[in-house]
Amino acid sequence: MSRGEPGVKAMIQGPARLAAMFCLGASALVAHHSFGAEYDEQKPVTLTGVITKIEWTNPHSHFYMDVKDDKGNVANWKFEGYPPVVLYRTGWKRDVTMKIGDTVTVFGWRSRDGTNWAHSRQVTVADGTKLFFGPPAGTGDGGSTPAVKPQ
Amino acid sequence: MKLLLAAALASLLAAQNPPTSSVPRTPDGKPNLTGVWQGGTTLRGSWDQANSGLGVGGTGRDPSAPPVPASQQVINSPAPYQPWAAKKVLESYNKRGIDDPSALCLPPGIPRLSITALFPIQMVQTPEQVIFLYEYMNVFRVVPFKAKHSEDLVPTYMGDSVAHWDGDTLVVDIVSFNDKGWLTGTGTFHSDQLHVVERYTRVDKDQIKYDVTMEDPQVLTAPWTIHTSFMLREGTRVQEYVCAENNLDPGRYEKLLQDGVKFTRQ
Repeated sequence: MSRGEPGVKAMIQGPARLAAMFCLGASALVAHHSFGAEYDEQKPVTLTGVITKIEWTNPHSHFYMDVKDDKGNVANWKFEGYPPVVLYRTGWKRDVTMKIGDTVTVFGWRSRDGTNWAHSRQVTVADGTKLFFGPPAGTGDGGSTPAVKPQ
Repeated sequence: MKLLLAAALASLLAAQNPPTSSVPRTPDGKPNLTGVWQGGTTLRGSWDQANSGLGVGGTGRDPSAPPVPASQQVINSPAPYQPWAAKKVLESYNKRGIDDPSALCLPPGIPRLSITALFPIQMVQTPEQVIFLYEYMNVFRVVPFKAKHSEDLVPTYMGDSVAHWDGDTLVVDIVSFNDKGWLTGTGTFHSDQLHVVERYTRVDKDQIKYDVTMEDPQVLTAPWTIHTSFMLREGTRVQEYVCAENNLDPGRYEKLLQDGVKFTRQ
């Protein structure tokens, strides 16, 4: 649990472990892209900024956010997350939950190429609601255990 | 008189406590598998209820929800790959799955689609056939009863499926896969000799026990069986998912490789 996700350390031994045990044989597969190739789970990031653009597209959605640093310099960040069908099922409503101009806080993990690009996990939207915009770290890259014994 | 009273009491109790978890059946007495399901889980309830604490396809309304362990692999025993094939599986794993066929928006095949828990699966059962509609990649299978595999099949991503009943268990036999898919998690490739047998046993209203056996003499040393469940998700609708709309992953992987960004495992 070095992924820095907020509030998960105490619970990982509980329901998540139980869920893993229930799925003896095959744990649930999620999304298709390789998190670990594009993003670094050792680089968690939490940023607050103003939404400039939202793309509700398959296979993944994106949003863009202007982030101001201590000196007043503004950088535009890009965040990746779930496809629209999953966002709808997770409580997001297009053009309602998050709109251009809203100030939001995002927790996620930075891209490996060091640019202003990240994988988004939890978003605190303008009214204070916390929603997941993307899956946990490790999704789609094989996780911590290969299907065969390491040789 | 006592018997009558007992019968009346039993009848009353039955009316008050209808057997809500009994297996729904079709007029011909077979278990009815029609419904919208979530594979790869044993949690009961609506989509929201079953996923809110896990953060995968869930409501996302619980900020302290833990992530599902994302191993995406068999977790009780290693897959029985032949040594040369196991090496190839590990190569994919060490490259963090950038060669995943689904990153090209290709159909994931079976059983991979069955256990992709992020997206629902609709099953429609008639006396003649059972139809599987997968939201992920928007692919389908029309599986006939009382049919045999054709002699002149062309290999495909989803293979050729035929079904029969073994008592109360729906058995789906699949052959004629191409060799471009993965069986489950990262790197689990197969050959065009793959033979898959799925067994769907509805144990109550909410749950189908799902047991699937993969045989592939080209790459496996023995049949590989995994066990999980499909859980009923009433109120959930299968929707459009057009993966090719804005798929940036292949280009990104190529750029990462070109730029020499280190992402592989040692």
